[in-house]
Amino acid sequence: MNALLRKEMRLSASALSYIFIIFGVLAILPGYPILCGAFFVTLGLFHSYQTARESNDILYSALLPIAKRDVVKGKFQFAIMIELAGFLVMAAITVVRMTVLNDVEAYHDNALMNANPFFLGMVLVVFGIFNTVFISGFFRTAYNLSPFITYIAVAFAAIVAAEALHHISGLEAVNAFGFDDIVLQMGLLIAGAAVYAALTYLSYRKSCRRFETIDL
Amino acid sequence: MNVVELKDVCKKYPSFELKNVSFSLERGKITGFIGRNGAGKTTTIKSMLNLIHTDSGDVCYFGLPLLGHETEVKQRIGYSTGTVSWYPRKTLGEIIDVTKAFYDTWDEEACRRYMELFDLDADKKPMELSDGMKVKCNLMIALSHGAEVLILDEPTSGLDPFSRDELLDVFTTLKEHGVTILFSTHITSDLEKCADNIIYIHDGEIRADCSRSDFMKDYGQQGETLEEIFLRLEREARI
Repeated sequence: MNALLRKEMRLSASALSYIFIIFGVLAILPGYPILCGAFFVTLGLFHSYQTARESNDILYSALLPIAKRDVVKGKFQFAIMIELAGFLVMAAITVVRMTVLNDVEAYHDNALMNANPFFLGMVLVVFGIFNTVFISGFFRTAYNLSPFITYIAVAFAAIVAAEALHHISGLEAVNAFGFDDIVLQMGLLIAGAAVYAALTYLSYRKSCRRFETIDL
Repeated sequence: MNVVELKDVCKKYPSFELKNVSFSLERGKITGFIGRNGAGKTTTIKSMLNLIHTDSGDVCYFGLPLLGHETEVKQRIGYSTGTVSWYPRKTLGEIIDVTKAFYDTWDEEACRRYMELFDLDADKKPMELSDGMKVKCNLMIALSHGAEVLILDEPTSGLDPFSRDELLDVFTTLKEHGVTILFSTHITSDLEKCADNIIYIHDGEIRADCSRSDFMKDYGQQGETLEEIFLRLEREARI
């Protein structure tokens, strides 16, 4: 593990960032808007930014023998690590629901999103929105946490849209059950992963540019 | 030999301006950076650490421009302030353990020695330390990676006279080991105790940059102390 990530994990991170990964388990609840689990994972990450601000972490990091942009890199490494951990929890639950629990009646009578690869793709999209709206918004000042409010609005718009999408005529397949429409489902997961990678990369570049120009 | 050089550093804020700040620091000397509150001491120091974006000018360490050599330069310098508390709820042991991984030249034995010398306890948290102990903690980290230059922003502010005296003795000891020190202060007695050179800043402009004895000779009047000179210069500047 590199020194930057180690610093993020041991000095900057809030314990809630780790604890809130458990919210990925919400994906097991029948009739629950399971995409909210992704939001809770990012809520845990947000707490680390609060902790970092209170402990003068950004200034301490900028004084270390690293380039200024590496301060941003450390924050992104940590966010990606937590997001992927949350994703793995939700992916494991999804696989269980698609296989072992496939015949459970409670999951069949569901007006909301099913746990399927499209759900996992949308989890990654929500994470990508967090990285774009909140993290790069934070690095406009390196102290102002208000971009989180914008993130809440954008994330919930995405969550509501994804949870309700299958009610639109012709889009029923996005809410496929078990291994139905698996080719389409896997395609949607890959598309979600591509959106996540693109949003995260662009957000990282933008955050580096912003952080280089601000005064600490 | 000059180890640090600032050339025409400018930074404009809406209500304050750093105007063509230029000076250099000699190896193994203690330089007192004096000026009243708001004169530009901290802004200058932040520009020396690339914490602010200067409008123009250059900052060089060991003959290398800071921009483009940030990582190498920061391996060889240390910074401290008594007013900021890093990771107040983590133990010093945790902070040291994480920090040392960033330095190629970290010396575990030196770290242990300075912990002992400064009476620091690895199980204590910064929130439990006095301002003086926080400065010592920062010095310990800087010295454990063999910092050749120490940049200290008002390290003695808020300290009781005894702790201040103790810290100034530490500076003198470090100087004897070849460490270059720049410390900003508005407490003139600090300069009388240990400064070899004085840089005086007023309203974002360097007004004096010379040895302490030259400062007394060139700017002082018959029988004036350093404090009296400083107060008179400030009063004259306001007229």
